[in-house]
Amino acid sequence: MSIAATDARRAELTEVLAREEEKLLACVHCGFCLQACPTYTRLGDEADSPRGRLYLMRAVVEGRLEPDDDAFATHLDRCLGCRACETVCPSGVEYGHLLERARAVIARESGVGFATRALLTVFGSRLLARTAMGGGRALIRTGLAPALLRILPRRLQRARFALAMLLASRGWAGLRDAGISGPCAADAGRPERSEAGRAGAAGSPAPSADASPAPRLRVAVLLGCVQQGLFARVNAATIRVLEANGCDVVPVPDQRCCGALHAHGGDLERARELARANIDAFERAGIDVVAVNAAGCGAAMKEYGALLAGDPAYAERARAFARRVRDVSELLVELGPRPGAPVQIRVTYDAPCHLHHAQRITRAPLDVLAAIPGLELVPLPGADECCGGAGIYGLTHPELGGRILEDKVAAVRSTRADVVVTPNPGCMMQIGAGLLLAGDGRPVLHPIELLDESYRRLPTRPRD
Amino acid sequence: MTSSATDHATRLDPALAAALRRVVGDDALITDPGALLVYESDGLTAYRVRPRAVVAPRGTEQVAAVVRLLAEAGVPFVPRGAGTGLSGGALALEGAVVLSLARMNRILELDPANRRARVEPGVVNAHLSRAAAPYGLYYAPDPSSQSACTIGGNVAENAGGPHCLKYGATVNHILGLTVVLPDGEVVELGAGSGELVGYDLVGLFVGSEGTFGVATEIEVRLSPVPEAVETLLALFDDVDDASRAVSAIIAEGMIPAALEMIDRETIRAVEESVYAAGIPTDVAAALVVEFDGPRAGLAADADRAAGICRREGAREVQRARDAAERERLWQGRKKAFGAMGRLAPDLLVQDAVVPRSRLPEVLRGIYDVARRHGLRISNVFHAGDGNLHPNILFDRRDADEVRRVETASREIMKLCVEAGGSITGEHGVGLDKREYMPLIFGEAEMAAMCEVRRVFNPSGLANPAKVLPLRVCREWVGPATAREPVAAGRAAVVDAATGGDDGVGA
Repeated sequence: MSIAATDARRAELTEVLAREEEKLLACVHCGFCLQACPTYTRLGDEADSPRGRLYLMRAVVEGRLEPDDDAFATHLDRCLGCRACETVCPSGVEYGHLLERARAVIARESGVGFATRALLTVFGSRLLARTAMGGGRALIRTGLAPALLRILPRRLQRARFALAMLLASRGWAGLRDAGISGPCAADAGRPERSEAGRAGAAGSPAPSADASPAPRLRVAVLLGCVQQGLFARVNAATIRVLEANGCDVVPVPDQRCCGALHAHGGDLERARELARANIDAFERAGIDVVAVNAAGCGAAMKEYGALLAGDPAYAERARAFARRVRDVSELLVELGPRPGAPVQIRVTYDAPCHLHHAQRITRAPLDVLAAIPGLELVPLPGADECCGGAGIYGLTHPELGGRILEDKVAAVRSTRADVVVTPNPGCMMQIGAGLLLAGDGRPVLHPIELLDESYRRLPTRPRD
Repeated sequence: MTSSATDHATRLDPALAAALRRVVGDDALITDPGALLVYESDGLTAYRVRPRAVVAPRGTEQVAAVVRLLAEAGVPFVPRGAGTGLSGGALALEGAVVLSLARMNRILELDPANRRARVEPGVVNAHLSRAAAPYGLYYAPDPSSQSACTIGGNVAENAGGPHCLKYGATVNHILGLTVVLPDGEVVELGAGSGELVGYDLVGLFVGSEGTFGVATEIEVRLSPVPEAVETLLALFDDVDDASRAVSAIIAEGMIPAALEMIDRETIRAVEESVYAAGIPTDVAAALVVEFDGPRAGLAADADRAAGICRREGAREVQRARDAAERERLWQGRKKAFGAMGRLAPDLLVQDAVVPRSRLPEVLRGIYDVARRHGLRISNVFHAGDGNLHPNILFDRRDADEVRRVETASREIMKLCVEAGGSITGEHGVGLDKREYMPLIFGEAEMAAMCEVRRVFNPSGLANPAKVLPLRVCREWVGPATAREPVAAGRAAVVDAATGGDDGVGA
């Protein structure tokens, strides 16, 4: 190939990154991000630091490093995408945004790994996702997953880890009886709500008949792919809690996967398709707010504006849509969550990176938990550090992901909490898997499940 | 371009690579050119030189073994901590191998009763204070990069920081060192007691910028956390007034723990960042004045300093109400360098010292240099000890601007020296200030320094071509230097970087 042709090809490949050169130049190489980075602190290699990765991106843009260079792919692939570096960056470098563009360059040039490709294909398709999630649930329900986990030999590390992640999504049967004491104990035996109430979005009840004077907020809940597939109970709890706090929860049946995993993996085109589909669906529903209970999805949807900035038909709509997106904890704090009945358990909170760092929401989940009387919140050392989940990092990088997870598991165990709560399905499965494989059956829940349980214990469930 | 010669210099002999791997393991030797790219700069990105390899040993024994192998092969090396240095000190010139100490980050011993700690060089400065905090102790030198920089790098550069005004720089807090000399010999410097017996070899080693060898274990002094702290924020509408206030506070014999100046351009960058400290962005300059020590008398000191500031024209003097407010102010001040990325794509941070009585005129001179060359310069610095940090903002893609930055930088240096100052306060000479040494030292003085270096580093393999101008200390001529050095001076290197040719053959 002639030099001119090579240059043209390189220019085309790196264009998606080159367009962001000004954002890359914001990095002054001060190094204040180094100690915030989970991979740098464990590997001690500049190339595995945010500063180093930005440097590699800049080198590609400047034509000093080939986009198919092993170093570029290896070190960017090794990034968890936790964005802890953004929280400490004095210059406000948009690392997460740049990482996605760099990965798009790599995906076009070097391709993505099999596991990632398979995962993205599954989540990109409703049918495949439903089938996979159904299969996963069946594995848990039939008791096959725990049995397999027991008999699989240790050297099948990835298979064991995948099973443990699946099992970690099972929830906690003991929640209904947990921490019951005092005057509210008598309410614990109240009859269960109807099946329809627990079924989630499809069965979300109509607004209550007794019309309230203030206009009720029309809220749609993002159901998500993993969340609805494995954590439908969390979606159901979210809907009940929002209704209890005076929202009209509007079903949006055409909604899709948010596209976060695709964007993180460098498949920006598929992420854009999903974003457009979601914007269409939620716009049709005419809602005020989209409530998201998965940190990763919330972060991605709040960034739809940047994702679709180059799409004339959607750019403005995407920005308007992003302004309506709220993490459910953020929304509840805006509404001032109603206090519930006591749930006297010891809880520790782990902050998902995509809530803490990407969305900069640090207090709201704790304020939500404060609405539960009797709940004892124990601080988790390093709560704002990544658990190593990062999508399927535990499967793609078992060794490093395992080391990061080990530290998280040790921190969780040091708190002696009864329950770990963290508002993101990936983190729930990751921490849950880590605990399970360490022989620790401590449940990992979404904070909203505790508030929902707290409301359930009230003599009369609050309604507007 | 010079690719053939430089490619030769940047390759590591396979037998040497194999021998190094046997010592440190496969994951601790980097030779892939792409992966090495990230090591071509430290905190000062005006220079780029790709090292021939990076080796990351763990423990004194591995360091010694690695250094011995390199010495036998005649390959130079340069120690590197977090790469936050601002004088190009960790650049691998002359085909050097980078000795990364980032993985040697254990606190080996914390001895609260004797207020000492023994640490590996890769321990992060702020982490040491964090570990000592439960005992009511801390490590006093606090360079602004303390959340990232390492104790080893602090020792190499004799790092300062805002509170060095009262507590002294790194050298005042190092009690003993385990050093691997450039031939691989391991020596202990200093007596653990901290009492000087014989020559102060620790004092000699601290600030030697990696040219005397590698410190692999460092014994530091820990200080008791002061009983009370008072922090003032004085706001000025005129930079001149602010600098006169600094001179007056010092002239009146006060000893603040820290006395910092931040100018408007810097305040604006910080206030836009996550480290916003609530400083009004319409002031010309702000002073942070801190007093610490026993509670008795502290408030009176603060009042007196506030009075001086008002007398010199401060628009307003605020007092930090609590620890949280104080912490916010300090975070804003200390992260200011990083926030400069908001102002321009590139940044050249200078480091010079002037007598505090000359601050007003020198600052005026610096802003004047900026105006004459059509450049933006922001100032944020340790005013109390006259340690200036003018930040010249530029865009390296603009070749004409790069040339103007060069000229302005040199003019500022001369201005400081002519005012009776020095070419570096705390960042070290490294590569960046090497050619400025003759501004303050004569040939005989520099030759004497070279003699001292020869005592530790006769082969010249430890961090070659740093600190002293090449013609002064041209003792080492190995295979990799049978050509012109990669970096002959800042102008050449900056130009090379601009042209996309770092001399290492991409």
